[in-house]
Amino acid sequence: MGTSRRKGSVVPLGSQFPLEEIHKASKRVQDAITDKNNELHRLQTFLSDNNNLVNLVQKLPEQLSHDVMVPFGKAAFFPGRLIHTNEFLVLLGEGYYADRTSKQTVEILQRRGKTLDSQVDSIQAMIKDLEAEASLFNATASEVEDGIVEIMEEYVENGSDDGESESESPMEDAPSCGNDTATKVEYASLLSKMDELEKQEELDAQNGDSSEETTVDFDHSPYQRPVDNNPQNPEDINQATPLDRVANNNYFANDLRKKHNHQEDIADQLNFASLAVQSQVREGKNLSQNVKSVDASLKHPISQAASASKIEAFTGSIVEHAENLQTSSREQSSTSQVSGSQSLKPVSRFKMQRR
Amino acid sequence: MSSINIRDLQRELENKANDLSKLQKDIAKNHQVRKKYTIQLGENELVLKELDLLKEDANVYKLIGPVLVKQDLAEANANVRKRIEYISAELKRLDATVQDLEEKQKSKQETIMKLQQKAQSLQAGKGKA
Repeated sequence: MGTSRRKGSVVPLGSQFPLEEIHKASKRVQDAITDKNNELHRLQTFLSDNNNLVNLVQKLPEQLSHDVMVPFGKAAFFPGRLIHTNEFLVLLGEGYYADRTSKQTVEILQRRGKTLDSQVDSIQAMIKDLEAEASLFNATASEVEDGIVEIMEEYVENGSDDGESESESPMEDAPSCGNDTATKVEYASLLSKMDELEKQEELDAQNGDSSEETTVDFDHSPYQRPVDNNPQNPEDINQATPLDRVANNNYFANDLRKKHNHQEDIADQLNFASLAVQSQVREGKNLSQNVKSVDASLKHPISQAASASKIEAFTGSIVEHAENLQTSSREQSSTSQVSGSQSLKPVSRFKMQRR
Repeated sequence: MSSINIRDLQRELENKANDLSKLQKDIAKNHQVRKKYTIQLGENELVLKELDLLKEDANVYKLIGPVLVKQDLAEANANVRKRIEYISAELKRLDATVQDLEEKQKSKQETIMKLQQKAQSLQAGKGKA
């Protein structure tokens, strides 16, 4: 799951969007922009005309009469006089006229100005949109010229991702994304490992306050251990965990704990498909309790004294402990050991995968 | 035999293409008319707003041909309302026709595509033979 490669394709951008087509498209958008600009210009002249008219209409009634040159035909004027300077015949549109005073006329004109303003706003918004589109086309064109390729990959709905995001806090979302990239690109696995480490740190920070829980779990262990009949086993585990810690700064111990807490999640999550874990889940409560006890023994040293277990860690070697665990589980077919040994093993597998 | 077939196909294709271009012209015309009506609708709504703002004793005139005819404000109001109703109905009708035409255009385009494919396959078969 986690490491499976997904199929993808790499296509040069130029073959998908031929340069000519892009130029054509951008030209069309540019034409549309110029059209809209012309429209905008027209509306703006309307607006300025309207404003001039408002000024004129406001000024006319200041005097009883005005001496004006009255246009006569296209080229001729004759002198005349404007009277009734406070009476206007206003075209309302569609051939309707109304007698209005100067003040009323100004009101009408201002309402018209408002509608014009809204039209100007809408056109400006349109131009903005078109310009964004044009810039997109230009960017695509330049990308095509640079020979950029398009990489497409199938998006596979991954149960492990869901499990992770569900079982863990949103703080770890980013690292889990990192896991995705790791599966996508081979050499990104290194990156994901770093993300993993980050996640561990976060986990550490979170599990710092779950120490209470640890002690509660630890209470289980006294009456579980006698059932185990194997005092060695917890020790082995104790030794094994610090080993992991040596590599990963205390993370895997915490991680282990987490895994035991959400067994099912992890079975999905981290390609933990190790049958042992699954069988534990199936076998039910007793086993899960056993796991818990092992768990507690795991947590116990961590919560108690990390330094002491660390010393143990340095003295031991990975191979030996792994073997010890296996042999002990063979010798005594108690389920708790199986669960203990195998609950540990997947961690190392997990690590292997990450590498 | 196959050449006759191809000729028939080409003739059919031409006919369909002509139909399609006619349809497209119709659609463009419809769009223009629609635009005109929308503008008129906006203007009429403006007029109605202004008429509503007028006092009852205001003088309202209607330009009929070259002369201004005095009209009752209530009458003018009713006229404008009727006009708006008419234009809205017309717009609806135009929308329906445009939709219809576009559907027709789509089907025509599909048939033309099919014909072209047929012609191509026929020509390819001929080339092989």
